Amino acid sequence: MISSLFKQLKSETTTRKKIEVLKNDKSFRKFFIQFIFSIFMLFFLFYLISRAFSLELGFGHLSSRAGFGLSHSFIIEYTSNDSRWGAYFTGVINTIRVSLVGIFLATFLGVIMGLARLSKNFLISKISAGYVEFLRNTPLLVQIIFWQLVLLQLPQISNALTFGGVSVWSNRGILLPIISSVENGSLWVLILLISLIVTLFIRSYLHKYKEENVKIFSPNLLSIIFFLITVIVSYFILGIDLRSDVPTLEINEYGTYIQSGGFVLTPEFSAILFALVLYTGTFITEIVRGSIQSLPVGQTEAAQALGLSTYQRITLVILPQALRSIIPPLTNQYLNLTKNSSLSVAIAYPDVFMVSRTIMNNAGHALPMLFLILSTYLSLSLLISLIMNLLNRRVTRIGT
Amino acid sequence: MLNFRTKTIVILSLLFSMFVIFACTAEETSSNSGSGSNTLATIIDRGELVCGVNDNLTGFGVVNSAGQFEGFDIDFCKAVAAAILGDAGKVEYVPLTASARFEALAANEIDILIRNTTWTASRDRDLGNDFTAPTFYDGQGMMVKASSGYDSIEAMEGATVCVLQGTTTELNLDDRFTGMDYTPLTFETNDPLQAAYEEGRCDGWTTDKSGLASKRAGFSTPSDHVVLAETLSKEPLGPLTRDNDSELYDVVQWVVFGMMQAEESGITSSNVTSMASNPSDPGMARLLGVGFDGGEPSDFGFGIDVNFMQNVISQVGNYGEVYERHLVPLGLTREGSLNAQWTDGGLIYAPPFR
Repeated sequence: MISSLFKQLKSETTTRKKIEVLKNDKSFRKFFIQFIFSIFMLFFLFYLISRAFSLELGFGHLSSRAGFGLSHSFIIEYTSNDSRWGAYFTGVINTIRVSLVGIFLATFLGVIMGLARLSKNFLISKISAGYVEFLRNTPLLVQIIFWQLVLLQLPQISNALTFGGVSVWSNRGILLPIISSVENGSLWVLILLISLIVTLFIRSYLHKYKEENVKIFSPNLLSIIFFLITVIVSYFILGIDLRSDVPTLEINEYGTYIQSGGFVLTPEFSAILFALVLYTGTFITEIVRGSIQSLPVGQTEAAQALGLSTYQRITLVILPQALRSIIPPLTNQYLNLTKNSSLSVAIAYPDVFMVSRTIMNNAGHALPMLFLILSTYLSLSLLISLIMNLLNRRVTRIGT
Repeated sequence: MLNFRTKTIVILSLLFSMFVIFACTAEETSSNSGSGSNTLATIIDRGELVCGVNDNLTGFGVVNSAGQFEGFDIDFCKAVAAAILGDAGKVEYVPLTASARFEALAANEIDILIRNTTWTASRDRDLGNDFTAPTFYDGQGMMVKASSGYDSIEAMEGATVCVLQGTTTELNLDDRFTGMDYTPLTFETNDPLQAAYEEGRCDGWTTDKSGLASKRAGFSTPSDHVVLAETLSKEPLGPLTRDNDSELYDVVQWVVFGMMQAEESGITSSNVTSMASNPSDPGMARLLGVGFDGGEPSDFGFGIDVNFMQNVISQVGNYGEVYERHLVPLGLTREGSLNAQWTDGGLIYAPPFR
């Protein structure tokens, strides 16, 4: 086509006629418009790149001393003497902490509320409907600030509720008694979690082995024995010293109230957690309800005809099938929850976004910092997607 | 199908256009970039000064009910515009957050930044700014509730302190509490911070003393709150330009000094015209850019009108008038403070116009 266009151009003698030929050729017109458009795009791109290079890029400034304190740190003990990288990772851990706890609680709440919404009981289904309609239709930021203000209405620390000395409740935080170890506590919990996962794998392998071969041992008993052995061995190797950790409230010599010990739920963490869980929970409720309703009624009827109880019907027949259409939209909600946690900047919870903004303000270099924040959120989101895709592959597998 | 020759033509023309674009852009960038640029000439060409300001700090930079910017810092933007362009109204204000201000200056979005910005070594050198003479000497303070019984920072061991995020205040607070146990509660904006302070979530509220004074005056019973006497830090606030932009830097610097000198010499917006037509001494004549006793006016070579200070004083006023207009209503008295004239024991001092 192009070559025929060239031939036509050659055969025309005057410039005006040549332009006429080009104007009338459809493919040339398309090509011409796209060519102009790509030139504009290239120009814009080069403009952006050249502007970016006139700013200073690099992460060298993150190695300097941070010089600012953070109100929340978890796992890593952060002090203002650490580098800015230390502050940044404290922020990352705070984001992961609120997202992870939020995802678990929101899933739990969403499944319960989704089932409640389908209940034949008028009160239960209307409570669930009211919860969804009220919280889904108000902005998340407003809810976060609302929860912060609600938690600030707890008694001031001078009038803190102590419940006979086992717990401290004030607007500086809710301190609950826990069992903890003096040292190696978090390491032990980590080992327990890993051994629990290993135990579950061993259990499913043993079940398969039992089906194919002999019926002389109990897989469940063997897995429990394995788990107990790892618990006891690691307990003695790490020298775990378990004791109850009851929070205390004291007044120091200057009249400042000092609270210590126990498990601390600060108003800031609680406010962002409540808001994220309740808000995301409404969407999960609707996903669960919709997925269950999309199943043929015959499934429920068949389960009832077989004489299964309501609990058996839901856990053995309905949910396993509904899970196939629940998981893909559920992944979206998990991603939303993680990304929405960046709104905690409004209420003094130092998540990765807030810490980065502090660093940007102290040291400048906004562009590389923004790239760092974006890649952090991107990695978190991709990790969630990966786990959920693996889970999805497992539940959509038919006939195993 | 494209034959080989057509393909080659298309690819070559694409490459050529890329080259042309890159060359154009590179040229444009070099003319815009920081080193060796002349923003003063750009402002004169454009006929307007682009000034980065605060739009949410009563007294310093705020949008009033009529939608106009007003405040102490805003008046210095006007003064620079009056000096360069002869008209205090030829200013475009760009409201900036604390975290965006330096990038905006570095990226040529604004010509000068006058946004209650503290002069520090890292901001001066590392961020590529040049600070002119401070226009206001502030200091960080701590406000506590009167009922708490705190009388000094030393007594605040173990306390929780509310502070605004991303400011020098946050860093000064940490320096001051070195070796002491404390929890900083860092808020992005003032409103939730104030709620947390009032509900007793934190024991103290720290920010610049000027800010604390205006917030304390806004409480229903100001006497319930005490601003501790100790000053945690030095906070000299002033205008800044980009590094290596000395033509504009010198103009801004000497407009500030000129307004201070005018106050010292007793030149105000109301008497500047009569003073200019009949200067009482050679020093005043040099400041106003007029000849003394029939002589020639002295030109300091700023590259703008020799009588630029006349425009500044007649349209904006001298330093004392600007202070009186915006900061005295906040309760920030000048007597005995660092912002008094040097003859009264303060730090407001202008080098000689000579």
